[in-house]
Amino acid sequence: MSDVLQEQTLHDLYRDHRGWLESWLSRRLGNGCDAADLSQDTFLRVLASSQRIADLQEPRAYLLTVGKRLLSNFYQRRSLEQAYLAALASLPEECAPSPEQRWLLLETLQALDELLDGLPRAVRRAFLWSQLEGLSYQQIAERLQVSERTIKRYMAQAYEHCLLVDL
Amino acid sequence: MNSQAVDPRQAVRAAAQWLALLESGGANEQDRANLQRWRDAHSTHEHAWQKAQALRQRFADLPPALAMSSLDRPDPGRRVVLKRALGAVALVPAAWLISRQLPLDVWRADLHTATGERRKVQLADGSSLQLNTASAVDVDVQARRVKLIEGEMSLKAPGSVSMTIQTRFGNVIVSQGEVCVRQDVRGCRVSVFDGSVQLQPLQGPLLALRAGQQVSLQAAGAGAIAPFDALAPGWREGVLLANNQPLGDFLRELGLYRPGILRWDPELEKLRVTGSFLLDDTDRVLALLAASLPLEVHSRTRYWVTLLPRKNSV
Repeated sequence: MSDVLQEQTLHDLYRDHRGWLESWLSRRLGNGCDAADLSQDTFLRVLASSQRIADLQEPRAYLLTVGKRLLSNFYQRRSLEQAYLAALASLPEECAPSPEQRWLLLETLQALDELLDGLPRAVRRAFLWSQLEGLSYQQIAERLQVSERTIKRYMAQAYEHCLLVDL
Repeated sequence: MNSQAVDPRQAVRAAAQWLALLESGGANEQDRANLQRWRDAHSTHEHAWQKAQALRQRFADLPPALAMSSLDRPDPGRRVVLKRALGAVALVPAAWLISRQLPLDVWRADLHTATGERRKVQLADGSSLQLNTASAVDVDVQARRVKLIEGEMSLKAPGSVSMTIQTRFGNVIVSQGEVCVRQDVRGCRVSVFDGSVQLQPLQGPLLALRAGQQVSLQAAGAGAIAPFDALAPGWREGVLLANNQPLGDFLRELGLYRPGILRWDPELEKLRVTGSFLLDDTDRVLALLAASLPLEVHSRTRYWVTLLPRKNSV
C-alpha cells in the first residue's frame, strides 16, 4: 500500500473514531487534557506501526488495545515522576541538580523504568541494588534472604530482559 | 571471527549469564579465558557483550539515591491492593515527611534506604521508625515485629503493646521508649534514649536497659552495659558528632553516608577532629575538614574522593 493511501485511511480512522477514543480515555483519566494527548499518541502509534489500517476489521478494538497500553504507560510514568519529585524535594538545595539536569534525569529514569518493566519485583530490586548501590551478590542475597545462586539467576534474568528490549 | 549467522537472542542470553558469573565473584581464570574465547568467536557475541557493558554504564551514570528512590518506588499495583486490605501505605523520605506532615499508616513493609539516605516512617500503631543510611528492615505491625536486616534503625514506641526488634544477635523488646539498634556482621549495638527495653541475647539471661545505657550484642552474648550521652544529637537529627576523634574513625563513619569510594592517606589516620557536621551534605563535611586540618581533597568524580596530606607550598 502506498504511503498516500495509508495516510488517507488514517485520516478516515481519525475522523471516525477520535471523539469516541478521547471520551473513553477521558472517563478513565478523569481529565480531558491528558485524554486528548493520549488519543493523539494512540493515532501516532497506529501510524508508526506496520499495521495496514485499511485491513482493520474492528478499528475500535484495535485503537482500544493501543490506547490501553498507552494508558498503563502513562500511569507508570506518572508514578515515577511523583517518586522522583518526592526524592528531589528531600535533597538539600545545594545537592539538588539544576532544572535542566532534572528534566534530563527524569527522561533517563523514565527510559530505564520502561526497560525494567515486566521484571518480577525481587529481580528488579536485586538488579537496582547491584547497579546503583554497588552491593555484592552476597549482600543482596542477605537482604532478600535468598541464596547467592538465586541472585546470580536474578541478575542474568535482568540483564537478558533489558538487552532483549531493543534487539 | 566466524561469519556464520548467530541468533542475537542467544548471544544476549549468553552475555547476561557471563556478566552475572563475573559479578558474582565466582569466575576463575578458566572462565575468563572462556569468556574471551566466546567474545572472539563471533561479532554478534562481542556486540551483545558491548551492549551489556553500555547498559551497566547507563546505570552507573545516575545519582544513586535519586535513581533508587524513583526506580524502586512502591509498586502502584501492589499499593492499591494493600490500600484496600490494610489502609494507606506510603513511604516517604524523612525531609519530605517533615515538610508535609503526610499521614502515614504502615502495617507491613520491607523498607530500605540507599547509601546516604535516611528515612522516617510512621507505623499504623503510632510508633515511629527511622532508618539510617544503607539499612533495611522488614516490618509487621500486626505481628508486633520489626526485623533489622542490615544497618541501623531507631524505634519510638508509644507504649500500648510491646514491639520486638529482631536482629541476628538477639531480640530487643520495646514497650515504651525510644531505642536505636545498629547491626553489622560482627554484632549489634543497642542504645536506649528514652524509657527502657528488654534484651534477649542469643546466649545468657534476659537483660534490662534504661535510658542513657548502651550495650553490644554478639553471637557469644551481651557485653558490659555502658553509659552514653542520650541527649547529644546524632544521625536521627542528621548530625555526625566528633569529639577529639581520630580522623580515620571519623572518615570510616562518614564513608557510610557517601555513595562511591572515599580513601585517605594512612598518614592522616591519627589527626584529631572535633565538631558537629550535617550528614545531608558530606561534600561540605570534606570541605570543612580541608579547611581546618592539614589535608587536601582530590575528587576524580563525586563518587571517587581521596584525601591527601597538604603539601607545604613553601
